[in-house]
Amino acid sequence: MAQDNVIAADALQMEREWKLPDRGTIGVIFLIITETALFTMFVAADLIYIGKSLTGPYPKDVLEMPIIATVCLLSSSGTIVFAEHALRRNDLGKFKIWWLVTILLGLYFLYATGAEWHKLIYEDHLTIATNLFGTTFYSLVGLHASHVVVGMTFLLIVFITTIFGFPIQTQERRVKFLSWYWHFFDWVWVIVFTVVYILPLKVF
Amino acid sequence: MTHEEHHGEAGERSQEAAIVLPGPTFWPLVIAFGITLLLAGIVTHWAVGVVGLIVTFRAAVGWWHNVIPIEEHEEVPIDPELRPAPIQVEQRSVVRLRAGESGHRVRIPERIHPYSSGLWGGLAGGVAMAAIACLYGLVAQHSIWYPINLLAGVVIPGMGDQTVEQLRHFQMLPFFAALIGHGIISILVGIVYAVILPMFPKYAPFWAGILMPLFWSGLVATTLSVINPVMNERINWPWFVVAQLGFGLVGGYFIARSTSIRTMQTWTLAERAFVEAPGLHQPDEGKHG
Amino acid sequence: MASIDYPLEHPKAEALTPEFSFSESLYKWVATVDHKRLGLMYVVSALVFLVIAGIMASVIRMQLAFPLNHVVGPDTFNRLFTMHGTTMVFLVGMPMVAGFSVYLIPLMIGTRDMAFPRLNAFGFWIFLLGGCLLYFSYIGGGGLSGDGSAPDVGWFAYAPLTEKAFSRGAATDYWALGVLLSGVGSIVTALNVIATTFCMRCPGMTLSRMPMFVWVMLIDAWLVLVALPPLSAAQIMLELDRHLGANFFDTQAGGSAVLWQHLFWIFGHPEVYILIFPAFAILSEVIPVFSRKPLFGRPAMVGAVTAIGFISLGVWAHHMFAIGMTSWSNTFFAASSMLVGVPTGIKIFNWTATMYGGKLRMQTPLLFCIAFLLQFLVAGLTGIMLAVAPFDWQLHDSYFVVAHFHFTLVGGLVFGLFAGMYYWFPKVSGKMLDEKLGKWHFWLFCIGFNMTFLTLHFAGFLGMPRRIYTYYPGRGWDAINLIASLGVIPQAAGILCFVWNIIRSSLRGIPAGDDPWDAWTLEWATTSPPPEYNFEKLPVVRSSRPLWDLKHPQDPDWKYE
Repeated sequence: MAQDNVIAADALQMEREWKLPDRGTIGVIFLIITETALFTMFVAADLIYIGKSLTGPYPKDVLEMPIIATVCLLSSSGTIVFAEHALRRNDLGKFKIWWLVTILLGLYFLYATGAEWHKLIYEDHLTIATNLFGTTFYSLVGLHASHVVVGMTFLLIVFITTIFGFPIQTQERRVKFLSWYWHFFDWVWVIVFTVVYILPLKVF
Repeated sequence: MTHEEHHGEAGERSQEAAIVLPGPTFWPLVIAFGITLLLAGIVTHWAVGVVGLIVTFRAAVGWWHNVIPIEEHEEVPIDPELRPAPIQVEQRSVVRLRAGESGHRVRIPERIHPYSSGLWGGLAGGVAMAAIACLYGLVAQHSIWYPINLLAGVVIPGMGDQTVEQLRHFQMLPFFAALIGHGIISILVGIVYAVILPMFPKYAPFWAGILMPLFWSGLVATTLSVINPVMNERINWPWFVVAQLGFGLVGGYFIARSTSIRTMQTWTLAERAFVEAPGLHQPDEGKHG
Repeated sequence: MASIDYPLEHPKAEALTPEFSFSESLYKWVATVDHKRLGLMYVVSALVFLVIAGIMASVIRMQLAFPLNHVVGPDTFNRLFTMHGTTMVFLVGMPMVAGFSVYLIPLMIGTRDMAFPRLNAFGFWIFLLGGCLLYFSYIGGGGLSGDGSAPDVGWFAYAPLTEKAFSRGAATDYWALGVLLSGVGSIVTALNVIATTFCMRCPGMTLSRMPMFVWVMLIDAWLVLVALPPLSAAQIMLELDRHLGANFFDTQAGGSAVLWQHLFWIFGHPEVYILIFPAFAILSEVIPVFSRKPLFGRPAMVGAVTAIGFISLGVWAHHMFAIGMTSWSNTFFAASSMLVGVPTGIKIFNWTATMYGGKLRMQTPLLFCIAFLLQFLVAGLTGIMLAVAPFDWQLHDSYFVVAHFHFTLVGGLVFGLFAGMYYWFPKVSGKMLDEKLGKWHFWLFCIGFNMTFLTLHFAGFLGMPRRIYTYYPGRGWDAINLIASLGVIPQAAGILCFVWNIIRSSLRGIPAGDDPWDAWTLEWATTSPPPEYNFEKLPVVRSSRPLWDLKHPQDPDWKYE
């Protein structure tokens, strides 16, 4: 009987000390891992096909480095951190401002991509079917942009509902996961930028 | 799970009347259907894709309201009919198997000869073998260099073109080739001896001194035409076997003379495999009070 | 409670089932997020697909039974082996992986549901609808945008055969999109499994105390997560090629057909480990319980399965020895492929060592496990043979390869799954499966399987290539093919025994009680079938065999761990 009591007390203590990671944290981390695997394949295809196009236009003829768009996207990774900090301090006004800045920076990036594609398609006559450069360029940049669009949709939903008075403070955890997703695709852009712009223009 | 949880032993009863579980929803099904239609639009008709898009959008909104602001849940009443039967305590005790128990023999030797004894034994055996081979050279060909030159045929091409007269004379390159080759093989065989001798149940000197050299001679007899055709043409088999026996006896003697050392075999199986399985270790009485 | 050879009867197993109207019970299944219902739906739909793909295999064997046979024409034959392979891998193997983990993991780690219950439901439905889309190709393939019926490009769909120029019509698109959708289902389920095992364990259930089943399925989920995206990427590229005119696999525009092979096998080789892992997981639970001994070498088992989870990501090109890689690549992939044999060997030895000296209960689950050990050993050894590049050049694309992978996937996976179904059916349904029918099932299936696939090794040695729809007589293949085709009969009879057993036992089987096998993991601590909430109170565990501790308070495991 004494042993039973010891075991019961032990169970209570185990229960009290029992700590497990948050399921959202684990979920987002492994979502990022699986997305990495997807991107790796497209990046690999891109690397294999650098300089393998049989016909023009070639990257050196038509591609320009989107420096401003890149700076915008990467700095949006910083502004979303400020927004998150503001939310943690329950400073809704600052949160809205920084969130809006993030959205604007992201939108500018998407606009720049759209403008670039428009120029490539209508002025330089480079489509996905033209040559291997077109194939890899549009698929890799497009894959990244489609993920940015998904992230942007969520950013907009958060912003609009907050404007209309949704208590976003209660969703701090989910906002954190959204910002992780946003960070990830900001930094994927660094790889895409290297593979799509720097390597063909500066190295090969 | 945001609500307070109370834990207990498996099968224990709860004081509460109901348990909170995630509530049923069909939006996951609808969104899956929408996405399927969206992709089916690629292969059928764009209108299908448009319908899919609308369905997906509607379902996404539905799902959104399922989890925001708080996740939908339902209270499932505890059904006393669905309580597991009390766990039956078993009084039988479990006997633990220990190494060395009768009926369970340890198959790999508990004590072995150190590898260094194999090294020295191999060298000693190699000297003995070389001495016998040179004796053969003196008796049969009146030259100790003759068997050495033959052995060098393993690595040096063209030895076969030499006449018997040439083979009787000292040659620098074949001498060193034979010396190194003979030395390496002797040491390797010596180490193999040291490793396998303790595995034989009985009469290790017999195995080492007589049978192993005979096996080895048989192996050489069947393969010599491939590995050293020069030697194969001129070999004297009785002398060869005697030289092998010399190696076996001298090497085996040296190895058997060394002090044997204990192996991990004397540990329990579990300790050796760094395995922790219940019942394989002595319970550490002090550990759990 | 001496040795238990029959289930304990107790009255509560006959629980009252409340009467539902049809629409109510339909709603209960369609809208459910309960991991047990979803797990059951996974396994049942996988069984349905198993029967469909099995019928396809029977037709294939009928066609090949005699030289110059004409049961089906060459076009139909291509569709048959494509759909057979695709169905077996994506619509039988993958949902079995998902079904077993989704049903059992929350019960085994002592929790009430998966980490993301709604995502769980989404994973199931998108897998099922993906499968339906694939099968819709039979009627839709010739529909609005072209001619052609079911996909006929092989389950690996090698480019450039799949390009628009060679594969007209929509059949290949159905293959790519259907498999893409069910792949999404697999990925989200794997994500869910990982989050569940990391975040939902009951107090005391440390990673080192987790049941071996959960460990193996955790590594399996990891493999799904990193190996499925390459396939999705390849399928997206293929669809871009086919619909937007991209040039990924278009050799005319400088694209590379070899790229498809790389992408496909970066997925494809881990995939075979993904498929065999559930069998590993099931064996690691069934063999200890039926040998009345704890699993031998638990840490070594965990280490081995983790090692496989990483090494198997670096072996893919052994499927591609015949395309002419550099000899360095050949050497690397041959060596890494052989390396996988080491942890796999460790597992075989540990299961055998678990049985050694145990008090074996020769019931159906254990019979299937023993057959698994022998057959999987053969499969592993032929696998190492094929890892030797020159040997592979000789036998590449021959029936030797067919026999090899059917020994892994049928002799290994399917036997393991049957062991698992006989073992957990009492928990799922509350009724025992009939032991006599189970033995019939085992012996018929085992004999039939070996008749078919053991013999096909020799057809491969004699030079019979894969995927041929017929052959001329007098090449030494006639008798072998006839025996292989006759082997279908006992296999089909075995499956019929199994289906009949399930139907009969669910209706009027012996009530199972909570713990019919005297087992040690948490799922046996609740009723059969478990209530919706699994456990009234979430349990606390102190060792890897919590039920053993409760049954033997004088001699619990935690004293030794």
